Amino acid sequence: MDKKNLERVSDQVWQIPKSYRHDMRVPARLYASEGMLDSILHDRSVEQLVNVATLPGIRKYAIAMPDVHEGYGFPIGGIAAVDPDEGVISPGGIGYDINCGVRLLRSKKMLADVKPVLEKLARSIFREVPSGVGKGGNLKVKGGDLDHILRNGAKRAVEMGYGEAADLDHIESGGRIDGADPSLVSESARERGHDQLGTLGSGNHFVEIDRVNEIYDEEEANRFGLVRDGIVIQIHTGSRGLGHQVATDYLRLMTGSMARHHIRVPDRELACAPFRSTEGQQYFAAMSAAANFAFANRQFITAGIRRAWSHELRDDAIGIIYDVAHNVAKLEKHPGIGQVLVHRKGATRAFPRQPVLIPGSMGTASYLCVGSEKAMEETFGSSCHGAGRVMSRTQARNKISADELRQRLRNMGIIVEAGSGKGLVEEAPEAYKDIDAVIDVVHGAGIATKVARFKPLAVVKG
Amino acid sequence: MTRRIIEHTADVRLRVEAASLEELFREAMLGMFEIMSCSAGVSPAFENVRIEIYSPDRTSLLVDFLNDVLSRAHIRKECFEEVRFDRLTETELVATLTGRTPARFEQDVKAVTYHEAEVRCEDGVWSTVLVFDI
Repeated sequence: MDKKNLERVSDQVWQIPKSYRHDMRVPARLYASEGMLDSILHDRSVEQLVNVATLPGIRKYAIAMPDVHEGYGFPIGGIAAVDPDEGVISPGGIGYDINCGVRLLRSKKMLADVKPVLEKLARSIFREVPSGVGKGGNLKVKGGDLDHILRNGAKRAVEMGYGEAADLDHIESGGRIDGADPSLVSESARERGHDQLGTLGSGNHFVEIDRVNEIYDEEEANRFGLVRDGIVIQIHTGSRGLGHQVATDYLRLMTGSMARHHIRVPDRELACAPFRSTEGQQYFAAMSAAANFAFANRQFITAGIRRAWSHELRDDAIGIIYDVAHNVAKLEKHPGIGQVLVHRKGATRAFPRQPVLIPGSMGTASYLCVGSEKAMEETFGSSCHGAGRVMSRTQARNKISADELRQRLRNMGIIVEAGSGKGLVEEAPEAYKDIDAVIDVVHGAGIATKVARFKPLAVVKG
Repeated sequence: MTRRIIEHTADVRLRVEAASLEELFREAMLGMFEIMSCSAGVSPAFENVRIEIYSPDRTSLLVDFLNDVLSRAHIRKECFEEVRFDRLTETELVATLTGRTPARFEQDVKAVTYHEAEVRCEDGVWSTVLVFDI
């Protein structure tokens, strides 16, 4: 794959025609600036997007966002909408971290209030929100209690006293996906996840305290209660070991059943089943349960942050701006198309006026955008989910030292509380694309428009 | 027997080569725990863990075997250091694992993917690439 295979549709949209490969059922579309193309074509992400275009029942286009990078099966930053009656559901189109997502919180405190206690706040959040590989927390939920979480998500966490009913109004799908069936979540998945509610995990998961450093749309910013030098907090994590195991279990099931359904895919990781088949429906119900686990996880973490805020600032008045899933499949109605099953793997839903949360790297910036009608017309109501990696973890570890990175971030006024130096350097700012350039593409294409930009003050991670 | 980590933008890609299918499976398992970087153990070798796996072909069998071991490692907080195969065919295996309890894992492996995996034998060398979701 190289640039000559791409047809320019607009300054931000490139198309790979169906004729590129005989097994493509629809064209593939890439949202990117011309300047990004060399970097995107450097890895196998666009070939992976072409593979997505071969899925049975796929509608219109296989789509990749400007933060696209190589994954497995789907590229990260990939979107595919399939006909629920004729098409398939593919766990590889959702990823192992089911409902990995972002929650954005808003404090009533301003930069001047928070700055003097920033280190204490970061340490306090690090204590309240356990992080690290496989790390469990104090909350252990089993049996019927876990079933309640799997069925009702964040709603159940609120019923248990971790938050307020109003919180649920500011979460995608109200923090609960219908149709979740806990009986379809294996014992192994339950065992992997039972002590991980309220925990961050490792890798690129984090809690970050930010200041609002730029507002682009005053009206929308007012709607979300944002002012310049106000304080927001981002949470990025998902369904932890429980979700990883659900994906593993059903990929294995579908790998074994594809021949029976006469399905062939160009990559084993795209293993899938007809959505209306028993395997398809079982996976969808188990995936929904794992997604609910993730919504609950971010609710428990919010409670931990409120405790830290209360301890250090005598104030726990922290509201939720929004909470989005960026690894999930959902049945949605789209204009002119009807009902489709939209797979978003490293992509954020961007329905008109819906908050779109797009974190950057720990040393750069993050954005709040809003979705648009254009997104409904072009991308099945979807936008990007982050900056997107550009450097491998191995390269990052070889090039950057943890001490140097900590010092560099400190010089930029950013405090880091991290359990692992190795994990820290893998997430260094230079391992990611330029978030401003990524946002310029989605803003320029009109699929998500800029509301506010945030600069990091403190980063808490495993 | 060799194993080598190859560049992957977001995750970890491992190439494994061995003189036999059994060695390939063993080497792939050890490679996975190398990626997870088990820290110094807090307990000595523990009792044997017996596993049985059935899969449609040898590539799926390897991926399913590794995912089974990974799941046990996460649940039991254990690092497996040796595997003895009592039976290993193209579609099934019976094996016994031994290992130890590490203080912690340095790197999370969420899952072993089927992406790019293909167990093949050429000129007496068994090989595959494996992509681990990190």
